[in-house]
Amino acid sequence: MRLRPLHLPILLFLLLAACSDGPDTAGLKIYRHSLGGTPTSLDPVQSATVYANHVVVNVYDTLYAYKYLARPYELKPNLAEAMPEVSDDGLVYTIRIKRGVHFIDDPCFPGGKGREVTAADFVYSMKRHFDPKSRSQGSWLWAGKIKGMEAWKRAGADYGKEVEGLRALDRYTIRILLTRPCPQLVHTLAQGFSAIVPREAVEHYGREFSVHPVGSGPFRLQTFDSVRAVLVRNEKYRREPIDLAYEGYDPKVHDPYGIAGIQGRIPPLVDRLEIHFVKESLSRWNSFTKGDEIQFATIPRELLDEVLLKKQPEVVLKARYARNYFYTSGLENGFVHTDFNMKDPGIGYHPDPEREKRNHALRCAIRYAFDWAERNRTFYNDMGQVFPGIIPPVVPEYDPQAPKDSITHDPEKARKLLAEAGWTAENLPELTYGGVASVSSRQMFEQFRGWLTRIGYPKEKILFDSYASFGDYNKAVKQAKIMIVGMGWGLDYPDAENTLQLFYGPNGSPGSNASNFDDPEYNRLYELSSVMQPSPERTAIYRKMNRIVQDACVTISGLSRRYILLWHRNVVSFPDQSIVGGFHLKYVDVLPGRDGE
Amino acid sequence: MEMLQYALRKFVTGIPLILGVTLISFLLMVYFGPDKTYDLIGKNATPEQIAEIRHQLGYDRPFVTRYLEYLAELATLDFGYSDSTGERVSSILKRTIPISLALILPGFILGNLLGIALALAAAWHRGRWLDKLIMGGSVVGMSVSFLIVIIAFQILFSSNYGLGWFPVRGWNVYDFGDYLRYVTVPTLATVFVALGYNTRFYRAVLVEEMGRDYVRTARAFGTPPAELLFKYVLKNALIPIITRIMFSIPFVVISGALLIESYFGIPGVGLVTYDAITTGDQPVLKAVVGLTAVLFVLVLILNDILYKVVDPRVSLK
Repeated sequence: MRLRPLHLPILLFLLLAACSDGPDTAGLKIYRHSLGGTPTSLDPVQSATVYANHVVVNVYDTLYAYKYLARPYELKPNLAEAMPEVSDDGLVYTIRIKRGVHFIDDPCFPGGKGREVTAADFVYSMKRHFDPKSRSQGSWLWAGKIKGMEAWKRAGADYGKEVEGLRALDRYTIRILLTRPCPQLVHTLAQGFSAIVPREAVEHYGREFSVHPVGSGPFRLQTFDSVRAVLVRNEKYRREPIDLAYEGYDPKVHDPYGIAGIQGRIPPLVDRLEIHFVKESLSRWNSFTKGDEIQFATIPRELLDEVLLKKQPEVVLKARYARNYFYTSGLENGFVHTDFNMKDPGIGYHPDPEREKRNHALRCAIRYAFDWAERNRTFYNDMGQVFPGIIPPVVPEYDPQAPKDSITHDPEKARKLLAEAGWTAENLPELTYGGVASVSSRQMFEQFRGWLTRIGYPKEKILFDSYASFGDYNKAVKQAKIMIVGMGWGLDYPDAENTLQLFYGPNGSPGSNASNFDDPEYNRLYELSSVMQPSPERTAIYRKMNRIVQDACVTISGLSRRYILLWHRNVVSFPDQSIVGGFHLKYVDVLPGRDGE
Repeated sequence: MEMLQYALRKFVTGIPLILGVTLISFLLMVYFGPDKTYDLIGKNATPEQIAEIRHQLGYDRPFVTRYLEYLAELATLDFGYSDSTGERVSSILKRTIPISLALILPGFILGNLLGIALALAAAWHRGRWLDKLIMGGSVVGMSVSFLIVIIAFQILFSSNYGLGWFPVRGWNVYDFGDYLRYVTVPTLATVFVALGYNTRFYRAVLVEEMGRDYVRTARAFGTPPAELLFKYVLKNALIPIITRIMFSIPFVVISGALLIESYFGIPGVGLVTYDAITTGDQPVLKAVVGLTAVLFVLVLILNDILYKVVDPRVSLK
């Protein structure tokens, strides 16, 4: 068959369809960031992932944000004029927003001109979380806390009706009435979930609003697909010069990165921000080291020994990499842990008090069999930090002096506990360890099984409960169907309350309490501390709760993984992937000259 | 006219096939696929919120109702909105299918043309060193995992560890020069792997054809090898070759190339399909499965028509 004249136009058409008009990027300052996953929705109410947040906080405004460089993290006003005025009882928050801030121009507005952002926009944006049609993934942050919000939802989520606890007092003033004090409220107002959207855009784009963001942030979205989001400078973004001292600049830490050079400049500092979503770590690394592609990456696990000179106690890059790239490392804002499902009578709560006591001994024995040092070596390159309990090292309430018995590998003690509780190879219950059907999950299970066989647990009684996808696994966890649950938690805000709520009884399945731990004293302390402002008293309560969880042997916890971030030397940046997250991108500058090698 | 009548008749008889494929796949999606609900709920969802999401996703409605709605969507080509991104499914497919086509077609065409050429050479020199060399190469192509080929080619041709001639990732295609830059390495990887399978298959077909009496007669008449191969042998072997090529088309058009798209950062339909499968994005899956089934029926029709074109003895009645 010959290529006929008809075929040529078809081929040409296909090629043209795959091409598009190229943006004129000549002379533009472009920064190409990368992330290890892809956001699905860019609607703030659905921005539940780190990936979505990186885009959302750059195209939308939040009332508050985290200071660029300050560690420990510090909040600062963003669209808000100042930190909120809080009543003495902690129930009334008054927040004034900046005047003259405009949404980007968009066809959703009359005449296509973006109008001014007002307090009513914030009220509307927050109400959306309680409108079932919005499919909010962030409503849990404010559930039961804003006066009248649940009633508004029950009454049909009519935006025309006011919510008692959430009102725009005038064009620029917001008043929030809480049902009980919530010390974390301002943190929640610094999350992508609370970003401010215009009602016109939500109504104009309908379901597709999730891919047509219309905000007042430093950038506007140009294109978005499964591999990349391209953002361009929002020319209407307010002109606020960078005050490095205010942002937490520390010459010892930040000088080597050239950050001093951005003092007094007006963000955003680049004209075009590309965020590449690259799940394949090797491909991401190849692109990063290419020189003219992505300018930020992490090191693939397979290449750690090739790139690093030293892993402990501090990370040091080999000279040839250190010459080309800046880097920073630290502990993640979160941790990994393995929970026992207390709803499972085989290992958790039991109607028979005697059996419940034996189950407690069984859980403690399994915990003593667990070898954190080996797990750290095998799966986390020996770079993670193991800590006792559920208050990870990154939060201020962490206690470095806490007893380490709950993370001590002691097979002898484990065997003794089993024997004392009357457990024998014959009567030990069948254990099921849940996980996604992946090589690493299976390896973790095999390692776990190996430890248990060493304390006398029959191998055939330890089974792997495999799930095809994370969605399936998550479903089983939410339905409390898994006996031993491997979990990871990323902090939403830098306050241990965010991890302590993981063991609060009322948050049991389908909530975030995957262990379904329900201890009256723990619950009481949680309720008591959750309305307290940060103080030594609150920290003492947090630590007491941490001890209760450890004594109950309800979880094998925990380990905070270490991250290493690299970026090209012509990029002026101090990246952070979680709490500050996408907020740092408006401060990134790219110097003229060649990219990294 | 005869051809049109045939095509229409064939399309009507293809409807049960479409119904069967869509029914089975929908059954699998509903009862064995991932539950999207748990992807869409927040960290501390209540049972009421879970019920709300399930209701919005239509999970609480009878299977038959949902299946009939699916058929209506297929008939109107309106699959609604993706449950993941909220984008219209038609917009997603319109954006991604041309990219996948532009990405896959060069490799598909070259893989088949080179496969036929090598198969002809191997068949002509059957049993000799050239045949063994080509077949050995084919086995290598078939044996090496596609993933390894992709990574190796990316390192060799694109990265700074290798030649660094081409981009590692991306699809910034704004003109023909860009297109060549971005498509070359994926095409080389595709051809490397496809060539093995294609060459072996085509060689088997051509060897069988070469054993026929008319080939011996033509040789006895002193017909030049090129004329014999291209004018007679290849033409007479076209039926199985067309069948193989045609039946690959629906996969090329709809399924894209997941691994290629994923490793080279190309926003094609393969990635979208994979994400839809793993997350249970039913609107996208329904569109992909339904359109693949329809395309199969169309390919079947086109296949029969092409049989007639290459072999006038074939009747369309």
